[in-house]
Amino acid sequence: MSELLGDFSESSIKEVSTSLKEPEWLLRFRLKSFEYFLSLPPETNPLYTKYAYVSQFNIPDFPYSGSGRQLDFRSTFEGYLIGNETNIAISANENVMHTELEADVEGRGVVVLPLSQAVSRYESRLREIFSRKVVRSENEKFAAFVNAFFNTGLYIHVPDGISLGKPLRKLRLTDRPETSIIDQTVIEVGEDSSLVFLEEEYSKNDSDKAIHASNLDVLGGRNSSVDISSVHMLGPEVVSITNRGLRLDEGCRITDSSLYLGSSVSRARTNFLLSGRGAFAEGFEIFFTDGKQRYDFETNLLHHSQDTTGSTHARGVLRGESQSIYKGMIKIVETAKNSRSYLAHHAMILERTAKSDAIPGLEIDTNEVKATHSASVAQLDEEQLFYLMSRGIEQEEARKMIVLGFFEPVLSRIPVEETREGTRFMIEGKWHREKRRLVDRISVLGFAEEARHEVRQKEDIFERHYKYR
Amino acid sequence: MSLEVRELHVAVEGKEILRGVNLKVGKGEVHALMGPNGSGKSTLAYTLMGHPKYQVTSGDILVDGESILTLTPDKRARKGLFLAFQYPVSVQGVSMFSFLRAAYNSAHAQSQPTIFEFKEKLNEKLKMLGMGEEILNRYLNEGFSGGEKKRAEILQMALIEPKYAVLDETDSGLDIDALRIVAEGINKLSGPERGILLITHYQRILRYVKPQFVHVMYEGKIIESGGEELSRLLEEKGYSWIKGYKGEEVSAEV
Repeated sequence: MSELLGDFSESSIKEVSTSLKEPEWLLRFRLKSFEYFLSLPPETNPLYTKYAYVSQFNIPDFPYSGSGRQLDFRSTFEGYLIGNETNIAISANENVMHTELEADVEGRGVVVLPLSQAVSRYESRLREIFSRKVVRSENEKFAAFVNAFFNTGLYIHVPDGISLGKPLRKLRLTDRPETSIIDQTVIEVGEDSSLVFLEEEYSKNDSDKAIHASNLDVLGGRNSSVDISSVHMLGPEVVSITNRGLRLDEGCRITDSSLYLGSSVSRARTNFLLSGRGAFAEGFEIFFTDGKQRYDFETNLLHHSQDTTGSTHARGVLRGESQSIYKGMIKIVETAKNSRSYLAHHAMILERTAKSDAIPGLEIDTNEVKATHSASVAQLDEEQLFYLMSRGIEQEEARKMIVLGFFEPVLSRIPVEETREGTRFMIEGKWHREKRRLVDRISVLGFAEEARHEVRQKEDIFERHYKYR
Repeated sequence: MSLEVRELHVAVEGKEILRGVNLKVGKGEVHALMGPNGSGKSTLAYTLMGHPKYQVTSGDILVDGESILTLTPDKRARKGLFLAFQYPVSVQGVSMFSFLRAAYNSAHAQSQPTIFEFKEKLNEKLKMLGMGEEILNRYLNEGFSGGEKKRAEILQMALIEPKYAVLDETDSGLDIDALRIVAEGINKLSGPERGILLITHYQRILRYVKPQFVHVMYEGKIIESGGEELSRLLEEKGYSWIKGYKGEEVSAEV
């Protein structure tokens, strides 16, 4: 593949597909998606078009890149790795440079492969997955964009009855200007299996201009347990697009935690598809913006089966002239009786120049459910500040306590300790305007005088609020 | 050594609330400040602590002879001033433990107490106020009952060990048992190294806490001062015998 493919056109798609020796069905999939990409407006829902400007950007500003460049990953990733990581997939820009699985993990049939290799090795399986993708091209322009142009990605498969004790990590670093990273990743977790997946994205140089677009399909098998965590720390010149679709079979349990701190523009779509009876999903979207960052979130809980439970918690703090829009919808179909759903977005604005809006919604076609949504946007409370200061706590420290505390009711619900503590560490870094990495936490922890005094929230969110009937 | 208020005039959003208050609370003294609703008692408390909403238009506030008018609330606290709030706010996500630690550390910045010293101190104070440790694992004042909030304020005072403590209606909203515990806490904390200004609407806390000085505030001024006998007179006869009082009668409240 050449270094530069030029523009985002049909001929570029053909070039990529040929160079990756893709089967014909996949090229057709790409070209069909390209049609959707061309025809769809950035925002299809008339309720939301008013806010489409928040994540507006210009695709022609970015070239379409593909590369076979080989780098030494250890020197490239110095400072981002401790050095003894296993169960990890490492990418620089669009190159999956290194994957490493522990021998016993590999021996149990766990697959972690660059998507292009997976397509040739497990073609019929991948064809089946692509034929019923969760992240679909039909309704979302930038999901179609990734389906058409992906130049990287992973296929992760945990076979039936396998529990991975240690988390599986995916680390990406962008280190080059004028880059397009278009990532198609599929995670398939078999019946009665479990997986903890931790994803991190960083930029090496603040000045590197790039587009980073990804589709993530998560297929949770019957009675499986999946915990996903993503840390988005891309540089200030990066446009970041994320489309996540999580499909839950019967009895499947998924938590999905995303932390958004980086990028100039961030556009994230998450759909929880509770398709099997008794499925349970919990989402966390945590963000902290400053400068002129613009974040656009849409999260939907789609209840398609009986006895399903879904909740999603968005919480963010905005500084400077940054802005955010959050759109969330609970949809419960007629057959999804006895389901429970909860959707919340709470934002705190630290300066009057920052702006945040939320549009929560409900579409419910059956009576026997509990569904609740709540949203608020507030400024830092001056009475709280006075109270803390009256105890001798300096203003800046008091503000920090209030702001970091604002995230806590959501953070404390995150089930994976590494994610929970990592998120706290990264948020604190953002408060101090530091460019932190998760790996730094280990050295910081080494000197910590004490463990955090943590208040875990065990509250039943479905009992607390107004109930829709 | 005293907390001194001199000819203090205070306005809120342009409206004058305090109209020349004079008060001197010496170390080792307990003063009660009484008066009907709206007389300016809480305004005085907030002004002493430096709430930005309360504008001092003239007069002065001195701690041990030094004016604190230009100081922010945190600096006033570090000068030894403490306010127990009538309505303490809650702060989500900030645990009682980490808050108390931060408050303790800023009050005892020179001594650099270790976490173990702090925990020891904290447990001793919790015991004194009949409080359990589980309160430390809750968010600051969040979901606290009225009694828990007031006790938590006294707990903070016990930890911080201020030179001058202003207790704003610490007795209100308490049942008789909670009132007794809070009053005992105040008594244990009063002593030669501390001055206490107890702001109260009712007389009943004065059965447990005995002030040497009693002041009556009305329409933004202290209109009567005396010894403990003044509170007994107020209990028997109400406010109406005091020269200049034209308001409602509140003494019958117990």
